[in-house]
Amino acid sequence: MLNPTTPLSEKYRPKKFSEIKNQEVAIDKIKAFVSGFNKGISQKKAVLLYGPAGTGKTTLAHVLSQELNHEIFELNSSDLRNRSKLDEVLKPSTQQHSLFSKGKVILVDEVDGVTTTDYGGLPELIVLIERTKFPIIITCNDIWQNKFSLLRSKCEMIPIKEIPYPSILEYLKEISKKENKIVNENALKEIAAKSRGDLRAALNDLQSIIYSEETEIMQQEIDLREKAQDIFNALREVFKTRIHKKTIEAYDSVEMEIDQIALWLEENIPSEYRGVELAKAFEAMSRADIFKGRIYRQQHWRFMLYQNFFLTAGISAAKGNKSLPDRFTKYNPPKRILKIWMINQKNAKKKSISGKLAELTHTSKKRAQKDFNILALITDDNTKRQMNLSEEESEYLAEKRQEVVLSLGKLSA
Amino acid sequence: MVGELSIWTERYRPNKFEEVFGQDEIIKRVKNLTNSLNLPHMMFAGPAGTGKSTLAIIVAKELFKEYWKENYLELNASDARGIDVIRQEVKNFARTKSLGSVPFKIIFLDEADALTREAQQALRRTMENYTGTCRFILSCNYSSKIIDPIQSRCVIFRFRLLEKKEMEKIVKKIAEKEKLNIDEKATQMLYEGSEGDCRRAINLLQATSSISPIITEEIINILLSNAKPKDIRVVLDYALSGDFLKAREKLLDIMLKESTAGTDIIKSIQKEVWNLDIDPELKVKLTEKTGEVEFRLVEGSDEFVQLESLLASFVLAGLGVKN
Repeated sequence: MLNPTTPLSEKYRPKKFSEIKNQEVAIDKIKAFVSGFNKGISQKKAVLLYGPAGTGKTTLAHVLSQELNHEIFELNSSDLRNRSKLDEVLKPSTQQHSLFSKGKVILVDEVDGVTTTDYGGLPELIVLIERTKFPIIITCNDIWQNKFSLLRSKCEMIPIKEIPYPSILEYLKEISKKENKIVNENALKEIAAKSRGDLRAALNDLQSIIYSEETEIMQQEIDLREKAQDIFNALREVFKTRIHKKTIEAYDSVEMEIDQIALWLEENIPSEYRGVELAKAFEAMSRADIFKGRIYRQQHWRFMLYQNFFLTAGISAAKGNKSLPDRFTKYNPPKRILKIWMINQKNAKKKSISGKLAELTHTSKKRAQKDFNILALITDDNTKRQMNLSEEESEYLAEKRQEVVLSLGKLSA
Repeated sequence: MVGELSIWTERYRPNKFEEVFGQDEIIKRVKNLTNSLNLPHMMFAGPAGTGKSTLAIIVAKELFKEYWKENYLELNASDARGIDVIRQEVKNFARTKSLGSVPFKIIFLDEADALTREAQQALRRTMENYTGTCRFILSCNYSSKIIDPIQSRCVIFRFRLLEKKEMEKIVKKIAEKEKLNIDEKATQMLYEGSEGDCRRAINLLQATSSISPIITEEIINILLSNAKPKDIRVVLDYALSGDFLKAREKLLDIMLKESTAGTDIIKSIQKEVWNLDIDPELKVKLTEKTGEVEFRLVEGSDEFVQLESLLASFVLAGLGVKN
């Protein structure tokens, strides 16, 4: 059984070079770099893997360490600011370096987050590269920012390409087979196309489809699911990614009304945020709703801008200036509207019965509805005849009566 | 034809002025007006279950005798969908002449304060148009919610809540006829539980009797607590313990089950905050937040989202308590 919190992208992360598709050039380059480094003939002490998200940069580093039987030492941007941690990476290993110890590589993952300021860590990274006795692997999405110019000059640059559509489709087929799931080929194709070379996103989408197929799906939800792929991506973007310039465009490619998107957000905020983050996110929801109210009452459509702002940036900022761990979260379609509709269906009988009771007892439908539980007890066959109840209404009333009597029994017991 | 009436509020509804308990002054005056056949438009203002509908029906019965049903139209403003429906019904009813010797018919518009001010303006014109053939009796809980032009066209009668003694007389009379066994304490509980609303008291009495012929304080109490939505406290407790999902699920259930409006929910939250077992300083903060959300309910469009944001604040407060 698949554990819902283990992302497929984690479960099937390649362990050997042979399992990685379409990155042969990059694999050769990185192998050559490490062996060159170890022989002491390498020009550079670090290699920079750069390219779009979900193309396997981190995977490549891990597979390399495994295939070469090297120990891997991971540093994130906050570690770079931590003197003692840095010293630990550099010193003890140099001292312990012996004939019997394994080789070692240092991985600095997702360097995008570091800045050049005092709090940054970029200068420390440069120092690290100068002093290291071990090959360093750095990964980065957008390496062409100005702040990275010095870093670029210190590293051997290896581009990692987007994974082409056919390879993604191949991965999806293989993995759904390994998971023993039969997924419609068209759905797989659609996922592959939408991923635009991002294998992780494709696998996350696959996972959400596999799940929804396991639960009972109501007719309404099937329609929703067709649009779900876009909304899943948008929700991930807003909830998980660190807030950035394009955050406010997160819903641009989602074919859904903004109000509908708000319902998706409302449903899924608690699966991503807790405590302060939860409160902040709902504060953003509340503010967006106030603007929505003003749009409706004053037809002031410009306010949609603010509604969208709070639903994108407002919610994204709830987690502060950071990204969430890349853990698979299953997003659910909004349940509230469906629930209201179902209760209204159910209450339709209560309403019509209350109306008839109200007429008979010179009162209002509302008041009869309020005291329905008491009235259900006193409505006998004779009264039912006078009320001219339909068979269904009669049944409903009997059920309610039974319910009330039972609950009374429980209370008095 | 209507057979024996099984619902006690109807079976024991007074048919004559003399049978009414309480509201003595009003009864006397309305009786005089009715007998003189010089009936003005009237407004019956007062709480629920104090005899407003009853008195309107008695007026009709006294005036029209066996034809009362043909000459009497009862409408409920809180049920009728908009003033247009009311106008149409009034028009159809007023088109034909009254049967018998009385030159007008009676229209009883219950819960008139449920109408918006605009609807009341329209009603005022309708009243003017049909003054020749119809007399209106309006009932409302608060006369202040009725626009002045309508008030000035009516003789206003203010009904008060039934006193304990009056309620006791009514309960005793019904208990005797229905051969019920009821003691002093149970009668007291009926009075307290119904808060002077006679309809509610009689309904409670009948509901209790459908469970046991011996009416006890205990059964009445259980029925009463069963009818009240007390669960707001449960919602707040879930939120304070950090379980946002359960809190919002329960809240939605409460709102949907009894079709409670967000504004009513926030009132009970506001009352409940003071009873919570938390630091007084937190109570002040949460009350402030509650007030803010009550304000936003009016400004916003989705009551539930606003209430969810309040629940999230309670979750946060809950964390504060633990730390």
